[in-house]
Amino acid sequence: MWRGDPSINRYVDDWVAPRLRQRFGITLNAVPGQGAELVNTLVVERDANRRFGTVDLVWINGETFFNLRHEGLLYGPWAGRLPTAAEVDSASPIVSRDFEQIPQGYESPWGTVQFALVYDTARTPHPPETYEALRLWIHAHPGRFTYDQQFTGLTFLKCLMYALNGGVGRFQGGFDSVRYTEARDRTFAWLKEVTPDLWRHGVTYPQDIAQLDRLFANGEVDFAMSNNQNDVVTKMRSGVFPPSSRSYVPRDGTIANTHYVAIPFNAPNPAGAMVVANFLLSPEAQAEKARPEVWGDGTVLKGDTVAHRFAVPEVAPEYSIRLQDDWRARIRR
Amino acid sequence: MRVAVWIAAPVLIGALYALLGALGLVGLDAHGFTTEHVTHVLGAGSTWRGIGWSLATATVATAAATVVSAALAITFRGTRIGDRVARALAAVPLPMPHLVAATLGLLVLAQSGLVARVLYAVGIIHAAAGMPALVLDRFGIGYMATMAWKEVPFLSVVAMSVIATRGPRLEEVARTLGATPGAVLWRVTVPVLWRGLAPAAIAVAIIIAGSFEGAYLLAPSSPLALPLLTYERYRTIDAARRADAYVLVLLGLTLAALAVAILEWVRARWDVD
Repeated sequence: MWRGDPSINRYVDDWVAPRLRQRFGITLNAVPGQGAELVNTLVVERDANRRFGTVDLVWINGETFFNLRHEGLLYGPWAGRLPTAAEVDSASPIVSRDFEQIPQGYESPWGTVQFALVYDTARTPHPPETYEALRLWIHAHPGRFTYDQQFTGLTFLKCLMYALNGGVGRFQGGFDSVRYTEARDRTFAWLKEVTPDLWRHGVTYPQDIAQLDRLFANGEVDFAMSNNQNDVVTKMRSGVFPPSSRSYVPRDGTIANTHYVAIPFNAPNPAGAMVVANFLLSPEAQAEKARPEVWGDGTVLKGDTVAHRFAVPEVAPEYSIRLQDDWRARIRR
Repeated sequence: MRVAVWIAAPVLIGALYALLGALGLVGLDAHGFTTEHVTHVLGAGSTWRGIGWSLATATVATAAATVVSAALAITFRGTRIGDRVARALAAVPLPMPHLVAATLGLLVLAQSGLVARVLYAVGIIHAAAGMPALVLDRFGIGYMATMAWKEVPFLSVVAMSVIATRGPRLEEVARTLGATPGAVLWRVTVPVLWRGLAPAAIAVAIIIAGSFEGAYLLAPSSPLALPLLTYERYRTIDAARRADAYVLVLLGLTLAALAVAILEWVRARWDVD
């Protein structure tokens, strides 16, 4: 799993792991690894004909699921057989579709989040409510806005792409190359127009969200961003962000998505992994995880899902893949 | 010989796997033999800009660290207590990992770092933006300064050892033959030092050019340093482009091998002299 957030690590190591040991005699050993690294590890294990791999359960989302399924690296289907699976809010399109892909029992939902911009009320009492207002704000405050080069920054770019091109509806129903190219050009025109007034004139961008957080916390820029709208609370409580920090969702909408757990094709203990996945889905574990002071991760269970404001779903993973490649080649350069 | 093979084995096996990956024979999205990844990487401007940036910054940082180390070794070569303390102090950062050194560089040199805060406190700058961009900057000034600082202790230890073991006798001979102190320094001490330091300097340059941690925390996103470009390709969500990382790894290994070959060639010429 991604081990980059101390709050999430604490939840897994100090709350989930002891209960798994007590109730099921399962030892949960959380190890670092995410997205592409997981895929690379499993590919190498497959190439080396390793029948029993090194991990039982992986924490993933759409793009990684796309690659793992495409390469046949997942065990399953199994998720529908979990006792708690019946409680999952499968009516929600954000939970039942992972980047427009139907999980088909190869992954089990764990939590939902929504992308949000983070600002400091002391510095920015009236943050821009739309992307057009953001454009004007960037010009009025040169050097005070940027986005990172990784997953969070890419989500920002996708939100922007939807908003500038008539909404997410135009991108749903699978990847359309022509539609993508038009949308990309309009999005890149917006970016190129604001680039001279970005932090460091857009000559360089923060490597990852941790660097953007640092710039925000140290007052070098006025906005951070997060894929989890509640992340700001945990970061304030841990002293990373100033106490006057807040998160918000621009009226044009931001992406809400679900993250999942899956079992690799060569998991040494798939049965144990299913017990863990089922426990992670339990109302008790979901409620604990949703507390802002713990993690602030939205639940995926019926009746409990937080009504996300201005939420838009993910679309086919090819949009993310192409947008990231093209941004690197045409904007970052 | 057998020991040497065992030492080299992990690199050779890794290089072989990288070669197979680069040719589309193993790894993610491998569909059989292809030169597409090789041509794509070699034809991309970002590859050569990244290599150029990494080589240029590694060269400047190594040159600076070598000059400082040589100066330290010459200045504090004596047996007085002050010289001994100075030599010990120069070696203090030696056990520090590159990651810690890079983090320190960030904390000190960033626009909201220690230097900026001191300048702000004394009224020289009035906002973070008033501090020159020394980290994540296009020219890699903070990166080079931090890497040079990190490598000075290692090169100093080597330089001091070279001077102590090879310097005194040759210098004595020169003085006996009537050389002035300046001539002894420039015609004997510095050449002896340079010949002894060159292999260490080459190793340091390779380490800096391949340093991931330093580049990740201090280098700009454009051009993207070779280690960052390699890592980015290795974990890109575009499965079709991930094998590009193998080509970049092989390019990095080739450059390192070239640097060693150049050193060996220069040393062979010295032996003839």
